[in-house]
Amino acid sequence: MPRNKLAWRRVVLVVLIIASLAILTVSFRESESGPVHAIQQFAAGLLSPLQTFGARAAQPFKDGYEWIRTLWSAHKEAERLAAELQKLQGQAVKLQEQAEENERLRALLDLREKGSFPEGTQFVVAKVIGKSPTKWQAWIQIDKGSLDGVKVDQAVVGATPSVGEGLAGKGLVGKVVGVTRHTAKVLLIVDAGSSVAAKVQGSRAEGVVEGSVSGRLIMDYVDRDVVVDPKRVVVTSGYGGVYPADIPIGIVTSVGEQDVNIYKQIEVQPFVDFRVLEEVMVLLVPGSGLEGD
Amino acid sequence: MLDRRRLAIVAKVIGVLAIAVVLQVFVVSQVSVLGVTADLFLVLTTVVAVTRGPLEGAVFGFMAGLVADTAYLAPLGVRSLVYVIVGYLAGLAAARLAFSSPWGVALLAGAASFGAQFVFGLFEFVMGPRAAFLRMLGTQMLPEALLDGLLTAPIYVLLVRLHLLPPASSEPSGPGGGKT
Repeated sequence: MPRNKLAWRRVVLVVLIIASLAILTVSFRESESGPVHAIQQFAAGLLSPLQTFGARAAQPFKDGYEWIRTLWSAHKEAERLAAELQKLQGQAVKLQEQAEENERLRALLDLREKGSFPEGTQFVVAKVIGKSPTKWQAWIQIDKGSLDGVKVDQAVVGATPSVGEGLAGKGLVGKVVGVTRHTAKVLLIVDAGSSVAAKVQGSRAEGVVEGSVSGRLIMDYVDRDVVVDPKRVVVTSGYGGVYPADIPIGIVTSVGEQDVNIYKQIEVQPFVDFRVLEEVMVLLVPGSGLEGD
Repeated sequence: MLDRRRLAIVAKVIGVLAIAVVLQVFVVSQVSVLGVTADLFLVLTTVVAVTRGPLEGAVFGFMAGLVADTAYLAPLGVRSLVYVIVGYLAGLAAARLAFSSPWGVALLAGAASFGAQFVFGLFEFVMGPRAAFLRMLGTQMLPEALLDGLLTAPIYVLLVRLHLLPPASSEPSGPGGGKT
């Protein structure tokens, strides 16, 4: 490369640098209304329509690019929200369960406060942890046992969601027939082997409420000459020593008589819905119950 | 005859600059990648310097800088100064190291971009608000260098294919660099 050409290039470079610095100095020292600024603003004004048009034309592409760019994050966000939704749904179900449990326990408390139980009766609230696997039997297993004071032949009451007023949904469940240290087995009054001494409120009728494999309650041994009207409430009579008196059992739904039978056949609808029973209360009546197995 | 050839070259370079203005304002400035926008003026300054030599790169850089400062309404002369130096040094480096492949040119443009951003950063640090220089290194300088470098390869190939610029020399030249 010729030396003069190299020198020429260096000269041009120095000139360009000096020119840049000069323009820069003028640009900084000059006021906003100076000629350099005026020229710059004029040139920028020529470019501004292009910029505006460019921005408008590019907007759909920018939107498309943003859409693609946010697709992945949106996917991750959707996954996170789905997980959160699942968690919240679980919490909602849990809260709903707790609310229902509260309602049931409140009903039990109501039964305890409004029911008439023998003096000194203590109450052990227990959860139903098992049910008879066949319809041939009707029993439940509860999570309280001998360590909680539960004994065989103690009465058990319960409350289920009521459909009516008063004591509807609350009443006799059965009696304890087996006890371990932490659990107990309760024979339901609807079991075919269950019998409860009972009376019909508002009449002289007394008898025995028996269960059946069909799940119906039949009040037997009621004299035919005693008048029993439907819709009357059936309660325990207290005879037999297992069930304290005046625990609601159910309501009379039909009264039948047969020529060959000297007793009335009274069908009783139990207050407690045994299908949805989840909590019960064992009555620890002083002097009641036998030691378990 | 020689003057016509030179005029044609000047016309082509001015044409490239005009295209750069349109593309930068119309397209490139609308697209943000990695949080930064590519600097087409700097890319073209590098490409011109690599293909035509340091002097042409410096002159192109001067004009491109003026146009860029005008378009961005920045103080006139800042970019001119930076691009003049970038154009000259890129031309020298290309002549000495004989970058001829598009990726070599891209690498050089990336380095030039980083250098230019560094100078802009220093300028802002001195003249403007005390921006966090190290933070700008990660959020502005390196991404911009990467973007400019990646953009350079296709632009270089395109301009050479369109015969707007000659291909870069694959043989190292003397200390002055440039085409004879």
